[in-house]
Amino acid sequence: MSKKVITREEWEKKLNDVKIRKEDMNKLVMNFLVTEGYVDAAEKFRMESGTEPDIDLATITDRMAVKKAVQCGNVEDAIEKVNDLNPEILDTNPQLFFHLQQQRLIELIRNGKVEEALEFAQEELAPRGEENQSFLEELERTVALLAFEDVSNCPVGDLLDISQRLKTASEVNAAILTSQSHEKDPKLPSLLKMLLWAQNQLDEKAAYPRINDLATATLEDPAI
Amino acid sequence: MPTTTASAVCTTVGNNILLRLTSGERDVKLKALRELKNQIIGNRTKKLSFLKLGAVPAVAGILSDAVSAVDVADNDENDRIVKDIIVQSAAVLGSFACGFEAGVRAVLDAGADILIQRGCLVEEMPLLKSYMEVVDAGARSLKMIYQSKMAPKYDFLQEENMEFLLSLLNNESENVSGLGASIISHSCKTSLEQKLLFDAGVLKRLTSLLGGSLIQRDASLESIATIFKNNPEVVSQFVGPDTGRTLSCIIEIVKDRFARTRLLASLCLIVIRNASPCYLQDVGIKTKLINNLLELLDDPGRVGDEASFAFSSLIAEKEDMQKLAFEVNGVDKLYNHLQKGSLHPRRFEGILLALADMCSKLECCRSRCLSLQVLKLVVDALAHDSSDVRSAACMCLRSVSRSIKNLSAGSFMNETIVIPLVRLLDDTSTAVQVAALGAISNIVVDFTTRRSTFIRLGGVKLLVQLSKSMDSTIRLNALRALRNLIFLAEDKCKEEIFMELTASLLASLICDPEPSVQEQALALVRNLVDGRINSVEYIFAEDGIILDAVGRQLRIASKAEIEIQGMYVLGNVATGKESHKEAVMDQLLLRAENKAQSCIIKFLQSNDSRLRTAAVWAVLNLTCSSSPGSSGRLVKLHDAGIVSHVKNMVNDPCLDVKVIYFSSLSGFLIVVLMVCLMTSRFSLVQLRVKTALEQFNSFDDSLV
Repeated sequence: MSKKVITREEWEKKLNDVKIRKEDMNKLVMNFLVTEGYVDAAEKFRMESGTEPDIDLATITDRMAVKKAVQCGNVEDAIEKVNDLNPEILDTNPQLFFHLQQQRLIELIRNGKVEEALEFAQEELAPRGEENQSFLEELERTVALLAFEDVSNCPVGDLLDISQRLKTASEVNAAILTSQSHEKDPKLPSLLKMLLWAQNQLDEKAAYPRINDLATATLEDPAI
Repeated sequence: MPTTTASAVCTTVGNNILLRLTSGERDVKLKALRELKNQIIGNRTKKLSFLKLGAVPAVAGILSDAVSAVDVADNDENDRIVKDIIVQSAAVLGSFACGFEAGVRAVLDAGADILIQRGCLVEEMPLLKSYMEVVDAGARSLKMIYQSKMAPKYDFLQEENMEFLLSLLNNESENVSGLGASIISHSCKTSLEQKLLFDAGVLKRLTSLLGGSLIQRDASLESIATIFKNNPEVVSQFVGPDTGRTLSCIIEIVKDRFARTRLLASLCLIVIRNASPCYLQDVGIKTKLINNLLELLDDPGRVGDEASFAFSSLIAEKEDMQKLAFEVNGVDKLYNHLQKGSLHPRRFEGILLALADMCSKLECCRSRCLSLQVLKLVVDALAHDSSDVRSAACMCLRSVSRSIKNLSAGSFMNETIVIPLVRLLDDTSTAVQVAALGAISNIVVDFTTRRSTFIRLGGVKLLVQLSKSMDSTIRLNALRALRNLIFLAEDKCKEEIFMELTASLLASLICDPEPSVQEQALALVRNLVDGRINSVEYIFAEDGIILDAVGRQLRIASKAEIEIQGMYVLGNVATGKESHKEAVMDQLLLRAENKAQSCIIKFLQSNDSRLRTAAVWAVLNLTCSSSPGSSGRLVKLHDAGIVSHVKNMVNDPCLDVKVIYFSSLSGFLIVVLMVCLMTSRFSLVQLRVKTALEQFNSFDDSLV
């Protein structure tokens, strides 16, 4: 079955006919800045566009401080900050709490403080493992780091990556957002996903100018 | 790894913190409080060890001191520290109370809940009102306390308490209004309290909270559901311009993006639906709720676990809902979740119960279950570690085995099902035993000759043992199972069962202190003596103690169900030999305490048509013309005034009785009446059909 062909001219005309409000776009941008925690940018954007953030910018600062602390490996500091922000979060999120404690252990190992690490694992993490089977498995993986001379090449070496810190930081960020009744994911990525999906659906029926590079969002002519 | 070192360190650190808590200097105290807080949050083990060191009363003391120390101080620095101390000590106490029973107990013992309320939330502290942090900290902690099972009972009847609650609800802060909602959700239990809350107008505020933040919405939904639960009166008063608004608001929220909110909204609507037949009855909303809940099952967390329980509460006992759910492939969807394997016990239990409810009334659901091979998974669940899961599996089996078609085909009476079920009769949990008895009661109603399987697997021994249990519910259900097992059983089968039961046990069960147990015992005897003439002999075993017991119960019983079964027993015995019939006459006439009036006369005049039917059957069987002594018995019955009562039944509104009456008359040697009533229409064939129908009715009753 041959596909319908839409020329660039036709396509651009159709696109121009679609009306989108500036306020909506502004809200999307603000939502992105706020969720990701770009406080200064959000503040500036608010001043320049007059868009009100749907969350108190002051709380973003607190949240970002926590995220940054984790990203720098200062987990104890991060825990204190979270508890100051909202003591319920870690008390009601056993998985998050475990991951934070796990990160602390990883940092101790990274800094070569072997004995302290063992004590910490014994005192703080072992009881969590007892409470929950899946925690135990993760704990064993983490403690395994101590068994290897060359940690960068061992099977659990990925735990020492920065990416592990980022993962934990992201988890904390999400938990804080949820506790503030805010959605933990910004809307923008979802919109882009929908765009890609819609294009894939349309591909089956028509040849039309596609957006292939999301960063530039340029229309590329259909290959005929 | 040496353990002593670690715990020694812990205790040292702990003691150090506690020591610093007693310091006279405020900033030392504050620092220690923060450290303590950060040690215990999220850490159950630490909470326990600090508890043992006496941390809770210590912190409660600090809070108390700090609250008294708050005054109109000019010294801002001082004020700040005192405020911080209050915030931190409230947070510590709240954390101790978070999901940790021993902690809640300690916090309550120290009177901390009252302390926090007075210290952080009471309006008389004008200074503190400006301290949102303090208010929030206090509200959070109290919420933790009120969420636990051991929460103090909030006395809604006290006016000042109600006012306080309203002030909480009306507060701007999410935490404070959330506390108010939490108190309602967890403390409001009686219908009086529900009415009080409703009359106080909390619904208005709760409705506005529905439009608030996520946390406010969820808390509000739970509270609204609590106020309406099982209270038709309150729901019926739910009229006015606000009603439509609240309901449509909640209906919108059923489509919310957050799964937990969708679940809470559905639960709220279900509560309202179940309490009152006027609301939420259109097909649209019914379908929406069903689909929503089935979809929520996909959620991997607690929401998915609870969704099946909500589904059960939506469809239980409601055939129309079950039908709707069936039409949207409810059975298949539930089965798909069941298939996933390694389910969390709560989820497993929920899905099994949901299937049990789906199959409780509809044959189409049962057939679908059987064709999907659900039974295999259900049978596996019979051996699960969790007693709740085992119990739920039995209930599922009970529902599915209501399928007469499959019972007749003997689909259930095989070793794979019977063996694990019989094993559960010995279960440590009473609830499981009762549930297993329920399933067995249906399965043993078997039209094939496979009852012997059950007997061979030791089922009868266990049932008889359970019929001697101290727990009346177990006795009752064990007897019901035995009753069904004996129903239309072969001679050999009956004999085996009777030998195990013994006449003396049966006689004592007929005289059991519990009326419902008496009823089942009599029904069992009825089935026992039913059938061939030699079955009747059972009732005469051991000098006729069973028959005597039956007669005695009939004379003293006041519950219709017992009288009916007893009468059917006598009626069945009266189908036997002459001596059997005479024995029945004996029970009815000679043994009567009030010789002037036999109990059967009371039955013939009863308002309950079932009882009248049973009584007339007995008279029929005693006087049917085929036996030699019947005319003699007819005379005796006439002299006792019984015959005239039977004659009066020509105008009995119940068709059953009329038919039997006409048959009965055909046994009477009263020619004139025979001609008038054209009894030639009613032949022996009609009688046999009636007998079969009658037995079918009793069989239907016996299905659990």
